[in-house]
Amino acid sequence: MKKSSLWLVSVMLIMSLFLAACSKETANEKPAEGDKPAGEVKEGGTVTFGYTQPFKGVLSYAYYEGEDDVNALQFMHEALIKTGDDLTPQPNLATWELSEDHMKLTFKLKEGVKWHDGEELTVEDMEYAWYLIADPTYEGARFANVAMIKGAQEYHDGTAETIEGIKVIDDYTIEVTVTEPSVNLLDNIWVYPEPKHYYGDISSKELPDSEQIRKNPIGVGPFKVKNIVAGEMIEFERFDDYWQGPAKLDGVVYKIIDGSLAQGLIQNGEVDVIEAPKDQWAAIKELPNVNAVEADAMSYSYIGFDWGHYDNEKGVVVSDNQKFQNKALRHAMAYAIDRQAFIDGFANGLGKPLNTPFPSVSWAKIDDSEINGYEYDVEKAKELLDEAGYKDVDGDGFVEDPEGKPFTVNFDAMAGAETSEARAQFIIQSWQAIGLNAKLNGGALKDFNLFYDTIEADDPSVETFMGAWGLAADPDPAGIWLSTDKWNMWRWYSEESDELIKKGVTFPEDESMDITEHRQQYYDEWQKLVNEELPIIFFEQRIDPWAINKRVQNVKVTPFGTDDFHLWAVTE
Amino acid sequence: MLQYTIRRLIGMIPIIFLISVVVFSLAKLMPGDALSGKIDPLNSDPAYIEEMREKMGLNDPIHVQYIRWMSGVVKGDFGDSFVHKREVMELVGDRLPNTIILGVSALLITYCLAFLMGRFSGRYAYSIGDYLISGFNYLALAIPSFVAALVAIYIFSINLGWVPATGSIGSGVEPGTFEYFISKAKHTILPALVLGSLATASYTQFLRNDMIESSRKDYVRTARAKGTKESTIYNKHILRNSIIPIVTLLGFDIASIFGGAIITETIFTYPGIGYLFVESVNARDYSVMMAIAMMLTVLTLIGNLIADLLYGLVDPRIRLS
Repeated sequence: MKKSSLWLVSVMLIMSLFLAACSKETANEKPAEGDKPAGEVKEGGTVTFGYTQPFKGVLSYAYYEGEDDVNALQFMHEALIKTGDDLTPQPNLATWELSEDHMKLTFKLKEGVKWHDGEELTVEDMEYAWYLIADPTYEGARFANVAMIKGAQEYHDGTAETIEGIKVIDDYTIEVTVTEPSVNLLDNIWVYPEPKHYYGDISSKELPDSEQIRKNPIGVGPFKVKNIVAGEMIEFERFDDYWQGPAKLDGVVYKIIDGSLAQGLIQNGEVDVIEAPKDQWAAIKELPNVNAVEADAMSYSYIGFDWGHYDNEKGVVVSDNQKFQNKALRHAMAYAIDRQAFIDGFANGLGKPLNTPFPSVSWAKIDDSEINGYEYDVEKAKELLDEAGYKDVDGDGFVEDPEGKPFTVNFDAMAGAETSEARAQFIIQSWQAIGLNAKLNGGALKDFNLFYDTIEADDPSVETFMGAWGLAADPDPAGIWLSTDKWNMWRWYSEESDELIKKGVTFPEDESMDITEHRQQYYDEWQKLVNEELPIIFFEQRIDPWAINKRVQNVKVTPFGTDDFHLWAVTE
Repeated sequence: MLQYTIRRLIGMIPIIFLISVVVFSLAKLMPGDALSGKIDPLNSDPAYIEEMREKMGLNDPIHVQYIRWMSGVVKGDFGDSFVHKREVMELVGDRLPNTIILGVSALLITYCLAFLMGRFSGRYAYSIGDYLISGFNYLALAIPSFVAALVAIYIFSINLGWVPATGSIGSGVEPGTFEYFISKAKHTILPALVLGSLATASYTQFLRNDMIESSRKDYVRTARAKGTKESTIYNKHILRNSIIPIVTLLGFDIASIFGGAIITETIFTYPGIGYLFVESVNARDYSVMMAIAMMLTVLTLIGNLIADLLYGLVDPRIRLS
């Protein structure tokens, strides 16, 4: 019987383990260790950079698609130009010169920049990258960044043997002729070289699946790839011939984790640097071993009104939906929402209300005093509705439209986060509070794919929807805001807006005038226009939360992620 | 028996065909495609999306797409993954070893636990220990695996720090060394334990009931009458007879070994088939998703066949015809 009682005990132990686990998870916490002041910076060491989505392993800038791969690429490769703190282009591997007529761009490459295999970087590698992307068989998404080079379109279509506009002058100088002058040429043109000598003659179509990109990728960055475990981890080691001098760290480990474990893994040091999941931020930023850094992001969310549909044949939006043509109605719906409360309640304060489509980090953002802030004001919202003729005629608690017909508003939002449902209800209730009969379209949230499918197809049930955009460093709103843009999701047609957007990318007639100032004046005007017309309710600009272990020093956080990898160091 | 096997194998063909239609239509019924996730002015533009849809044949009529896919599948070519930019078979092949290691270890844990618990329960049926064991089994059956996984990680990785919480291998280890093996084992043990110990219920109860039933049989009474020791009766006579039917369950486990554990793998960031499957569904990477679904279908069918054949082998009363 002795053996059996042992069994009984062990089984009970297993059970109690599960029961204990079910109760409360904070029983035995690790002793705080991060409180002591940061020690001396030491030589070497390894830092683990975490991310919550598996990477695909397409380790080339010309071919990668997602943030999951670019997070690894940033450690191993660099571009001719980088984005400075003021979001303007700055020289990196090369300096540039633009001809008087803005048609010729000349890059002058630094000498002595080495690839990880010891070969020197030359302008041929840049030329090669343009050829790869313009190749007729290229299946990546970057052709738009090469299309402005003269002759690239012809090469892409297969009607030309070479790209006419590229001229190699010597090993360190290359001249590019563009099809038309553009103020944001440097923001748009492709500037990541690819190792021509290393890829050999693999075709542009085969490259993404080649050993050279998947198993042994090389770059010119401060760290070189040592080991790749597919979908799970990439180990980098220091590259001693890095052009800015060898990095301080011995290596970096890029590690994929499950988002739900972020807090625990940051706490026990398995992950050193990570963009933290927003829903865990309140707990993570309190961890004793964490430097909590909040960085303004280049993105914003909005509530779009459905103005009409996209005419595929003519390639232009048609604002033929009468429902939201009344400006007072749109204003009222904006005043009805307490955006700050929404941000505090659902995003741990990680956001700021915004009133134009430019986040505050953008240089083109207009001064807040010049535009309407749409501060939360229920009374004002009701007043506006009343003046516009939206009155409760039949006494059901909801207003009717000016003709006395019932007025309802469908709202769409994406599912995904735990709080998605509550967020949507917040908006709906805010509108109900001013007397609008708002409801969730179809009674349920939509997943990402269904959401954009429905909106892009101009489904008649879509009336208002909450979406978001990530933005590039250059403020040019084309691509989303022109009336010819397919991603003008709200289908707002405005000739005035189109004209201002187009003027924003022109050169000043007066040569002596600063280009930025010149553009700023049109963007100010444009922001005033959209702020007043309010084709969409501008909702919030995001703040990215970064958790950085206190032992890691010199991590620079930018609106686009982290930077200055060669300066990172650890204390211990 | 050979005839039976061949007949069954031929019978599978229409089933596989029908399932391929279902898998394909379900995949296509999902809103969005691999390119809907590309709505991002930073990285692409509508012209590119349209061009790629045309290139990938996503604008073709549905039956054309099905025939194109199926004619590849028949030749063993599942196409390319749009998201991963690789051949699907290579991609699956990469993940398979991880999944098999995890699946086999989990299965071993299940078998060991179930054997020990089932033996105890069968011998001391209706005792407190028996009730505790069935209590544990039903609890394990009821606990969702993601809860168990998170709790296990919280206790063993984050608080006790015994094993790492994520991944299938540590950093800085050379493949082939002893260190590599240890690192692999350390990364596999926790997900395997979670997977294995939650799945014991059916095996335990199966063994228990069979032992109780066997203990009432005539040959057991005979053995008792002869004065054979109780432990010998249970360990030699009954256990041997009761373990045989359990062997047949092995057939059903084949699909689960290869199929991977979707939720557990995802939480442990363990790069196996299950993780790949979830990833592909989220990214609408049809080719990968359909390939895995088809693979599981075929394995399940084969597993069923093996189970049936094993039945015939261990129990001559069952005639396969």
